[in-house]
Amino acid sequence: MAASNMRDIKRRIKSVNGMEHITNAMKLVSAAKLRRAKNTFERTREYLHYITESIEEIFNNTNEVPTRYLKGSREIKKTCYIVMTSSRGLCGSYNTNVIKEAARQVAHCKEEPIIVAIGNKGKEYFKKRGFKIYSEYLLPPETISFMETNQISKPIIEMYDSGEIDEVVMVYTSFVSSLEQSVKSVTLLPFEIHKDPDVPKLDKLVEYEPSVEQVFNYLVPKYVEIMVYGAIVESATCEHAARRIAMENATDNAREMIAELNLFYNRTRQAAITNEISEIVGGADALK
Amino acid sequence: MPNSVMLEVTTPSKLFYKGEVDLVIVRTLTGDEGFMAGHSWAVKLLDAGELWFQEAGSKDFKIAALAGGFIDVKDSITIFTDAAEWPGDIDVTRAEREKEQAENWLKNPSEDDSEIARAKIAIAKSLTRMHVKQGGRRRKR
Repeated sequence: MAASNMRDIKRRIKSVNGMEHITNAMKLVSAAKLRRAKNTFERTREYLHYITESIEEIFNNTNEVPTRYLKGSREIKKTCYIVMTSSRGLCGSYNTNVIKEAARQVAHCKEEPIIVAIGNKGKEYFKKRGFKIYSEYLLPPETISFMETNQISKPIIEMYDSGEIDEVVMVYTSFVSSLEQSVKSVTLLPFEIHKDPDVPKLDKLVEYEPSVEQVFNYLVPKYVEIMVYGAIVESATCEHAARRIAMENATDNAREMIAELNLFYNRTRQAAITNEISEIVGGADALK
Repeated sequence: MPNSVMLEVTTPSKLFYKGEVDLVIVRTLTGDEGFMAGHSWAVKLLDAGELWFQEAGSKDFKIAALAGGFIDVKDSITIFTDAAEWPGDIDVTRAEREKEQAENWLKNPSEDDSEIARAKIAIAKSLTRMHVKQGGRRRKR
């Protein structure tokens, strides 16, 4: 009996050991990917900052801004949700958090919302619950190029222009630090900016070519495209950070488990030896 | 009066170029335009086209292909573009293939107007790439 018990424990140690190797390797891979994603992310954030600044600057300096993209220009009936999850699992609560937040918002909608799913996990969740998935992007997000995100955001902007949807909300994970990520939801359109009297007017006249309106009409869709791109990059960064933490925990747990099983194995082995000795001694006693 | 100005060319994924330049020439929606230090402030939309600039003190022009965007001229010049490429990074065969593909779209037009517009943009982009690879459309030396 003791021998078979020992073999069981040995087998478990072996399997946990195998798992530990895998999670440890995944942790290292995620750490490397996280570093790369973080670089792109920081670069994009800077670019995004420039664009928003330009939009605000134009808005604050001219009076002939088209109202089509501004908040309050029309009643909000149909909403488009862009849900950014990952396509792979094993990243802790990363996907559940995003889906939970998205589902909470979708539940408030009066009209059936349009879902744009980026990442497999979100797509499957909403598909299973009978929502219409307007478009999807399922490849690993860290390799996405800006041109590819255009294919996601262009139809959304067109739908907004044609009045098919009245609001675009994006649910994604925002990167706070390598150890902390939080789910954020951002309304991309209509655009909410206020005339800020505190912002000093530019002291020089700025030429807009071909016209203020055209520049503004170019910038706003660009803003949406960049925001979508930025959020995908940010979400990818978060995914790797979340996976790294999850895998680190898994590795720690596996190591703890191995230590415990080893102790248990040694005890069982010792018990078996003691048992045998006492049997031998008992047998020798009987022969006397 | 300074005679050189800071130029920054950024794309969504990276800072493409940063440095002091004497002259920048870009293709705006209304045609090629050059900017030098002390230009009046302006925001102009760019077409897909060539970017020419002369680094401070240098006689030679550097060229790159831009895929449209906008230029922001203030005390420094910033160009925002969807994509920018040096001649060395351009794959001519790919550009030619893309041009052919776009021309095919035009030959068999669908009802969708946006597709025609997209094909035109694609042709403009690949033409720019080819020109830039050959050292620019007009050789400025």
